[in-house]
Amino acid sequence: MAELLAVWTAAFFTLAIYSFLYKENAWFRVAEATYLGTAVGYQITVNLKYLRDQWGGVWSSTAFMMTMFAFAMLIGLLWYFRFSKKYFYLYRIPLAILVGTGIGQAMQTIIFAQFLSQIKGQISTPLFVSGELVTSFNNILVAVMVPCTLLYFWFTGYGVNRDTALMKGIDKVARYTMMAGFGSAFGYTVLTRYSLFIGRCQFLLGITPNPPEAKMAFMVITVVLLATLFGWDLYKRQTPSVVEERL
Amino acid sequence: MSILERMQSIDRRYIYLLAWLAVLVPLLNPLGLPVSIGKYSTDYYNYIDALPEDSVILVSFDYGISAMPELYPLTIATFHHLWSHDFKVIVVASWLQGPMVMDVVLDEIDPAEMYGKVYGEDWVELGWFAQREVGMAALGKDIWATLPVDYIENKPTSSFPIMQDVKTAEDIDLIISFETGTPGLPEWIRQWETPYGTKIIMGCIGVMVPEVAPYLQTGQLQALIPGLTASAEYELLLKRPGLAIAGVDAISMSHLLVIVLVIIGNVAYFLTGGGRS
Repeated sequence: MAELLAVWTAAFFTLAIYSFLYKENAWFRVAEATYLGTAVGYQITVNLKYLRDQWGGVWSSTAFMMTMFAFAMLIGLLWYFRFSKKYFYLYRIPLAILVGTGIGQAMQTIIFAQFLSQIKGQISTPLFVSGELVTSFNNILVAVMVPCTLLYFWFTGYGVNRDTALMKGIDKVARYTMMAGFGSAFGYTVLTRYSLFIGRCQFLLGITPNPPEAKMAFMVITVVLLATLFGWDLYKRQTPSVVEERL
Repeated sequence: MSILERMQSIDRRYIYLLAWLAVLVPLLNPLGLPVSIGKYSTDYYNYIDALPEDSVILVSFDYGISAMPELYPLTIATFHHLWSHDFKVIVVASWLQGPMVMDVVLDEIDPAEMYGKVYGEDWVELGWFAQREVGMAALGKDIWATLPVDYIENKPTSSFPIMQDVKTAEDIDLIISFETGTPGLPEWIRQWETPYGTKIIMGCIGVMVPEVAPYLQTGQLQALIPGLTASAEYELLLKRPGLAIAGVDAISMSHLLVIVLVIIGNVAYFLTGGGRS
């Protein structure tokens, strides 16, 4: 029984969220608010559990670590001064620690991980690979397009004159390269959105390993949602003044 | 208003209706379109298959419930693959909802019943770690301290037999990351691959491919499964058809719809003089 309820609830919320495709409506708002509330509640619970687990580790091992744990908790509580006009500045302390730690941690290796490695990878790619025509063509394209795109964003320094025929040619190649990149990103975005949609449709149709009961829930809830949405539209059209008063 | 002009101002709800049909019809009546196996999925499959038995693998859930439709089929297939070997599997999550996804995985696969895997000896779930990239760095330095208790039994991490020789990133042979964004591959590379040389393979949603593909060329990423189509190929390689295979026809039809609509929109735009203005 509990499983059946879960399936019907999941089907309802899926369809209620998708009802936004028709227009903004009350079902969508209910689903949206429920989803947000549940997600925030879950996050708070997991965070509290994490804190509890941390206490069970090294933090409770010595008096010094316990003091540090309490100190960290106090700094964490300073986040809430964001809601105070008078003591707002205190909120900046945990924010600065968080941002500073994050940036510092990333900067340690970013130059190797995302700068030098990419240059090395670009230089070490062979232009021609014997027996692999497509790969060779691809490598030549990359060897031309990457420098052109980098030069496109070169605005200052000695010898920069974008009006020369050479630079105009480079700019053109760079623009085509970027357009190809954006097009690829857009194509993959469409792929992802459809994949997400297909996953939910598989659930609604009860395709294995999804529960088969979802199919019935899908049909019933679709009829109810459509009837209420179209019914409400019809009612609004026939009695606009009454609806406006209620709204 | 001519037909061409009307085509450019079609009510978007008709497009949504067509999208529903393009997905629902092939799901209800599979067309059986052929699926050719590509390089991405083959590399991913071969990389896991070629790992020595007893390798220690860290599986990271870098996605939440919202990305399940695209990444869950790959996740399930990968766990089948891992548990069919004698790898040591450690499951963590840098995304808060990661453990929830793992709960769903465990509802579908019982590693003890299906593969005879013992919790704590062959695999362990350590749950979510806080602070994203900083958390990854801390995990690399000391797994026992960063995640002191496991997620399922709430016992000290260091007490499990599987964790006896696994304390830092240097003890991990491979990271398998399933991800939808930040934190994800760049963070793993910065905090694990660069300082410790840990190998990484990943599955990601399609949107991320242009961002992560360059790491394949540099050798910082060993293999990549991009999106649902490659997941379907991976299922075929595993000889374990699942949700990804079931969705391939729907993917093809929905993409065909998008292509047709783009062509119609552009033709109508140029024929009505839009290009000139």
